[in-house]
Amino acid sequence: MKRRTLLCAAGASATAAGLAACGSGTPGQQADDPAAKGRTQVEFWGNVFTTPENAWYEKIVKDFNAAQDDVYINYQVVPGDAWDQKLKAAQAAGTAPDLYIQPGRLDTAARTGLLMPLDDLFAADVLAGITDAAKEVSQYQGQFYAFPLLVEPQMTLYWNKDLFEQAGLDPETPPTSWDEMYDACEALAPVMGNGEFPLNTAVDSGTFGWTTVAAQLHVAGHLPISEDWSTADAEDAKYEELIGFYKTLQGEGWIPRQPLGEGNSAQAFGEKKVAMQSQGSWAMSELAADYPDVVSATGVAPWVQSDGDLTHSISTIGNMKWVVDAKAKEPEATASFIEWALGGDPEVLKPFFVDTQFTKAPARDEVTEVVNADPAAEDAPWSDVVFEDIVPHCIPEAQYPWDINLAMGDALQAGMLGEASPAEALGTAQKEIQKVIDREGLAEIRAEMDA
Amino acid sequence: MAISPPSTRRRMHPSRRQDTSMAYIMLAPVLVLLGIFVIWPAIQAVYLSFFDWSFYTESEFVGWKNFHDVLVDNTFWEAVLRGLQFVLMTVPVSMVLSFLVASLATSVSRRVSTVLKVSIYIPSVISGVIASITFVIIYDYSGGLLNALVNVVGAPNQAWLGDPRWALAAVAVPAVWLGLGISTLIMIAAMLDIPDSLYEAAQLEGANWWQTARFITIPQMKNVLLFLLVTGFVGSIQQFELPLVMTGGGPNGATELPNLFIFNHFRGDAYVGYSIAAALLLFVVLGTISSIIFRIVNSEKLVD
Repeated sequence: MKRRTLLCAAGASATAAGLAACGSGTPGQQADDPAAKGRTQVEFWGNVFTTPENAWYEKIVKDFNAAQDDVYINYQVVPGDAWDQKLKAAQAAGTAPDLYIQPGRLDTAARTGLLMPLDDLFAADVLAGITDAAKEVSQYQGQFYAFPLLVEPQMTLYWNKDLFEQAGLDPETPPTSWDEMYDACEALAPVMGNGEFPLNTAVDSGTFGWTTVAAQLHVAGHLPISEDWSTADAEDAKYEELIGFYKTLQGEGWIPRQPLGEGNSAQAFGEKKVAMQSQGSWAMSELAADYPDVVSATGVAPWVQSDGDLTHSISTIGNMKWVVDAKAKEPEATASFIEWALGGDPEVLKPFFVDTQFTKAPARDEVTEVVNADPAAEDAPWSDVVFEDIVPHCIPEAQYPWDINLAMGDALQAGMLGEASPAEALGTAQKEIQKVIDREGLAEIRAEMDA
Repeated sequence: MAISPPSTRRRMHPSRRQDTSMAYIMLAPVLVLLGIFVIWPAIQAVYLSFFDWSFYTESEFVGWKNFHDVLVDNTFWEAVLRGLQFVLMTVPVSMVLSFLVASLATSVSRRVSTVLKVSIYIPSVISGVIASITFVIIYDYSGGLLNALVNVVGAPNQAWLGDPRWALAAVAVPAVWLGLGISTLIMIAAMLDIPDSLYEAAQLEGANWWQTARFITIPQMKNVLLFLLVTGFVGSIQQFELPLVMTGGGPNGATELPNLFIFNHFRGDAYVGYSIAAALLLFVVLGTISSIIFRIVNSEKLVD
């Protein structure tokens, strides 16, 4: 499942919450707010995120609408799996929102003309303040196509120190390599009850698709497609080792055979059904908001790597950006909101990073300074781990089409479940990736992107 | 010599002419809606299937490329075959269960029959999404109801939705449950239409339940069974909500039924030509199989 879909799909409760959060109850339909009269109206679509994020989005829109009289932001939450088809249907009909939130790389959307280039909508100094890491995931051919809200690592290791202690492990020393992970799981297994596991990782194709990109690069030194996107490169024996890692974890019963929840959720860890989990840095904010009793016993570290080398490609980094639709009816008004919320006074953005427990890196250095100066930052020891031990060693999200992520996710799942040998699974991925390359003409696209 | 249409019209009885006009007037809204929401989109879909259609940039004519891409794509055919497998898992079970429940409902007292009919119909009014979420909770790997029952008999937890061996069957269960009400009610209606004299004669001959069912009930319900078979086939192979919500098509594509396959392409691809071509080809496949079913099991007018 795609990262975006995962973020959206939080089941019935999230759907209900999302609908309740809608101004009108129907995404895309304008709220009947008397305050909107006489103002330039901007449609803004968002997803269902973690509790503190949802609250921030509601508040930022409310604050902006109250702060001036010219522009009215109509914020609509499009819940669950409705996002993709809702947005595509709106794009096809020419009724897409002016502004919406998008995770992942923007290259395909920019290339196919879905997004409005932003450089002319903002003063140069506003865009100049964006960090290099955030620029990497917000630009296409040197042009901004998104205003980044944040960057965050998508794979970190969380461990429960209490359970480590019960298992006779050092609660302050998490595993760093695959072998150490096996040892930790072996020690933890007797401590866990029926339906509980030493570790929770991705076990489905979609989640594997986005969570293992950095690991693929780490083990093999390359991604499963040649740099010029002309040929598939998935049949590397090193990828077999990566499959073997997950196969071992599952074969020993250390990870569940079926996902214990959404791929981007820390619920199982919060409910103490698992002693460790691989999860994005956002998990800490979810734990703090929804499972506060486990926070004091939770440790955060870089996700384990094959060789224990935690200094390169240990996670992908990227995530939520605000994009303006290429057919936006009110681009200037939209830009004024973006500039106020994301590109202006750092104090406006600060609550987002404080409320999400210092787990996300701001996209502007001046915001980082303000956030770090908050007294609560000292009570969030994991933020140092995230920003000093993880973020510098991350790679940007993959630029190639999602089908390639999914082909590798399929291979990992098939190999892990024993549906095919690792070599066979990668052979299938190789064919699938080559099919996508040929069908989409990826070599020409890559050349166009590099032009 | 053929009679010319105008003279025919002239000779039409005034009341009949009025009936015909009224029929056209009453049909008009439906035909207009059909034209707007079905016929025109279908024509448009055929047209767009020959393009790399992008919403925001100029579309590029690619001829038969999209159809070719679909036809040579193993994953499309695997999805179609999986759909047929799903039909085999759901339609026969649903028809047999419906037949048994309908037989029971027509042979018990009116009060019990009413309770039975209401009970069996309730799932039909439940949203597929709600049913999916309910069954996801039942199938939950850690804490689900089904695994709690499995544990009672000493077996370990099973990954009902995470194991390719179980997943499609696990999705088939709510599909049968949701569809049972409608097919049962239709069967009850068909059974009530069978003349009592046939059963009385069979009773005099000493026929048992199975003989009555085999030689009277089933042959008399042939057209209804054919209808349920074809609609069940089409509905089942086009099942979409259940795998979307319950598994997203996983694990490893084990529950990616044809419509979900098309949907996943629709939301993932930069251009939608492939999805449209796949949908049109699926339409052809379904139409062909439905016509084959009609051909094999001929419907005919019943003779008492």
